[in-house]
Amino acid sequence: MNTTTSKKTILRAEGFACPSCVNKIEKQVGRLDGVESVKVHFASSRVEVVHDPDRVTADDLVAAVAKAGYKSRASAF
Amino acid sequence: MNKVHAWLHGRWAVPGISGLLILASLASSRIWTNQLWGDIFMIAAAVVAGVPVVIKAFNALRAKVIGIDLLVSVAAIGAVILANYWEAAAVTFLFAIGHALETATLNKTRSALAELIAVAPDTAIVLRENEQVEIDAGEVGNGETVLVKNGAKVPVDGVVIGGTGAIDEASITGESIPVEKVTGDKVYAGTVSTGGFLQVQATGVGADTTLARIIHRVEEAQDAKAKTQKFMDRFSAWYTPAIIVLALVLGLVTRDVVLALTLLVIACPGALVISIPVSIVAGIGRGAKDGILIKGGEFLETSAKIDAVALDKTGTLTEGRPVLTDVVVLDAGIDQGLDSDEVLRLAARAEAGSEHPLARPILEAAAEKGLAVPGLPEHTEPVPGKGIVATLDGRRIAVGNVALLEQEQVAETDNSRVAEVVAELAALGRTPMVVARDGRAIGVVAVADKIRTDAAEMVRRLHASGVKKVVMLTGDIEPVAKAVGAQVGIDEVRAGLLPEQKLEAVEDLKRQGYTVAMVGDGVNDAPALATADIGVAMGAAGTGVAIETADIALMKDDLLKLPQAVSLAKRTVANMRQNIAIALITVGTLMFGVIFGGVTMAIGMLVHELSVLVVIVNAMRLLRRRRDRFESTPVRTGTPSAAVDDRVRQTV
Repeated sequence: MNTTTSKKTILRAEGFACPSCVNKIEKQVGRLDGVESVKVHFASSRVEVVHDPDRVTADDLVAAVAKAGYKSRASAF
Repeated sequence: MNKVHAWLHGRWAVPGISGLLILASLASSRIWTNQLWGDIFMIAAAVVAGVPVVIKAFNALRAKVIGIDLLVSVAAIGAVILANYWEAAAVTFLFAIGHALETATLNKTRSALAELIAVAPDTAIVLRENEQVEIDAGEVGNGETVLVKNGAKVPVDGVVIGGTGAIDEASITGESIPVEKVTGDKVYAGTVSTGGFLQVQATGVGADTTLARIIHRVEEAQDAKAKTQKFMDRFSAWYTPAIIVLALVLGLVTRDVVLALTLLVIACPGALVISIPVSIVAGIGRGAKDGILIKGGEFLETSAKIDAVALDKTGTLTEGRPVLTDVVVLDAGIDQGLDSDEVLRLAARAEAGSEHPLARPILEAAAEKGLAVPGLPEHTEPVPGKGIVATLDGRRIAVGNVALLEQEQVAETDNSRVAEVVAELAALGRTPMVVARDGRAIGVVAVADKIRTDAAEMVRRLHASGVKKVVMLTGDIEPVAKAVGAQVGIDEVRAGLLPEQKLEAVEDLKRQGYTVAMVGDGVNDAPALATADIGVAMGAAGTGVAIETADIALMKDDLLKLPQAVSLAKRTVANMRQNIAIALITVGTLMFGVIFGGVTMAIGMLVHELSVLVVIVNAMRLLRRRRDRFESTPVRTGTPSAAVDDRVRQTV
C-alpha cells in the first residue's frame, strides 16, 4: 500500500453552518479514489485530506467539497 | 448576466426566490377570489426553499445523523400534506433565510483567522547570482537572501543581514507600531515593511514560518473542544431523537398533528449546537490578532478561572540584563590607595574568567569606566552559590555573598559594617557582592536588574481582572526579591528558590485552591510551567516550540498582554454561557408556547432563527477591540549603562 507517496492537503472552506456538514463532506471526499483519509474540522472550517496526488488532485478534492455544497480552496499550509 | 448567474449560485438565491414566490402568492390571493394560484405559488415557495433542506436531511440520514434539517423537512412535508401551505412555505423560507444569515455571520466570527491567512505572502524577491528574481514565497530556499522593499510583505522568516527598515509586525505580535530592524534582528513572514530596504537571510519558509505556526495553533485551538462543548455534544446526540419521540407522543396523545409538527420545528437545537463554537472561534481569533495564542476551548475555560498568577522575577518582571548599580568602598581609611575604581577593578579582574551571569555587569561597568582588566587571574575558583575566589598578583581576592566571607574567615570587626551595607543595598532591590582582599572586606559592588516599566501596571490590571494573588517566584535572595516585589505591587514573594522549588510553590498554590497561571521563559521554568493550570510563554514569536506547546503564548514580550489574555478568556467564557442561556431559554419558552397554544410553526421558526442569529451576533462582540487596548503602553527603551554610571557615582 505504501508504494505511493501520499500527501496531506488542507482545504479551507466557507460557510460551514452546522456540525452535520462534517459527515457529508467526509463522505463525499472519502469516496474519491486515491483518498486515504479525510478529516473535517467544523469550528475552523478546514478539511484535511491525506491522498495520493497522482490519483486525485487538490482540484478534485475542491470539486468533491463543492458537490457537498461548500466552496473551498486549497491552502499552502 | 454574470451577476445574475453569480447571484443564482450565491447564498441568497434560495431565500430570495422563495420570498418572491410567497409575495406572489399573497398578491394573487388578493387579485383572484380563486385560491388556486395562491396555493400554487405558496407550494412553489415551499419547494424552492424546502428541497435543499430535504436533500441535506437525506444526506445526513445516510451518514446516520439526525439533525435540524430532518426536523424541518418532516415539519414542512407534514404541513403540505395537511394543506397548511403558508406554514410550509413560511417555515422553509425562514429556515433558508436564517441559514444564509448564519453563514454570513459565522464567516465573520472566523474573520480574525481569515485575515491572518490573508497576510500570508505570495511572492518573494530573492538574490540569485546577484540578480533579483521574483519567485513563489514557498520556493525560497533556507539560507537564501531575500529582498524586502518599502511597502512589501516579508515573505519568509529570517534574519536581517543588511540594510535598515521599519516593519509593521501587527500580524504576528498584535502591535501596530512599526519596529525598527537592523542587522541581526529577526523578521517574520507576513509582516509588512513600512519603510527602508532590508536584506534578509531566510531561516523559515512556508509551513515553517511563525505565521504558519500561529495559523495552525489557532485552527487547532478553535477545533479543540471545551469541556462544556463535549457535554453539549453528548446532550444534542440524544436531544434531537428525544424531540422526535416527544413530538410523536404528543401527536398521538392529542391527535393534533399540527401541534406535533410545530414542536419539531421549534425544538431545533440550532442555537444550542453553535452556541459554544461561535464564542470560542471568535474569542481565540480575537486573541490571535492581538498576539495572544490560547491553546483551545478547554484552556480558555481554565484561564477564565485564573485567580493566582506566579511570575518569575528575572526576565519577566525585570529585563533580565543586570547592570552594575553601586560600588561602595569599605576600607578606605586603612588602605589609602583604595577608591571605588580600584574596588571595581579588583572585582572585575577576579570575575574575568567567570561564566556567572553576575560577572558580566561588573566587567561591562569596568570596561565602560576604562579600567584595565589585563588577562585572566592566576588562579580562579568558583564557589557555587557563594561567589568566586581568585588570585591576583599573589593576593587572594574573593567576590561573593556574606556566606563566602564566612568561608574566607574575613576578620570579625569588618562584618557588622559589611552586613549594614549589604542589607541597605538589598533593601533597594540590588544584589550586593562583597569584595575581600587577603581576608579583609574592602568594598561592596551591587548589581540590579532593571524592573520593567510596565510591571506595576500589569499587576494592577491583573488584580482588576479578578486575579486575587500575584506571586513572585525567584532564585534571588529574599531582601532583593522583596524590594522588587514591593515596587511592583506583588502580593507574595517566594525567594531563594531552585527550579524544582518553583514547581513546589506552584503545587502549593494549587493545594490552596487557586487556579494558577505561571509565566516564564520556558527554559529553567519548564517544570513549573507544566505543573501550573495554565503555562504562559512570553515573547513566543521567536520560538516555534513555545507557540506549539504553551497553554497561552504571548507573541510579544509585553507584560500587559498577560492581563489582556486573562480578561479575554473571562469575556469569552461569559459569552459562551450567555449563548447557552439564550438557546435554552428560547427553546424552553417556545415549547411552553406550543404546548399551551399561541405559537404557530412559522412563529416558532422565526423565533428559532432569530435566536441562532442572536447567538452569533453575541459571539461577534468578542471580535471588537476593548478600549483598554488604546491606553498608552509604555515603551521600554534606553541604554541602562549611562544611568548606571550616574548611580555608581551617587553611591560612591
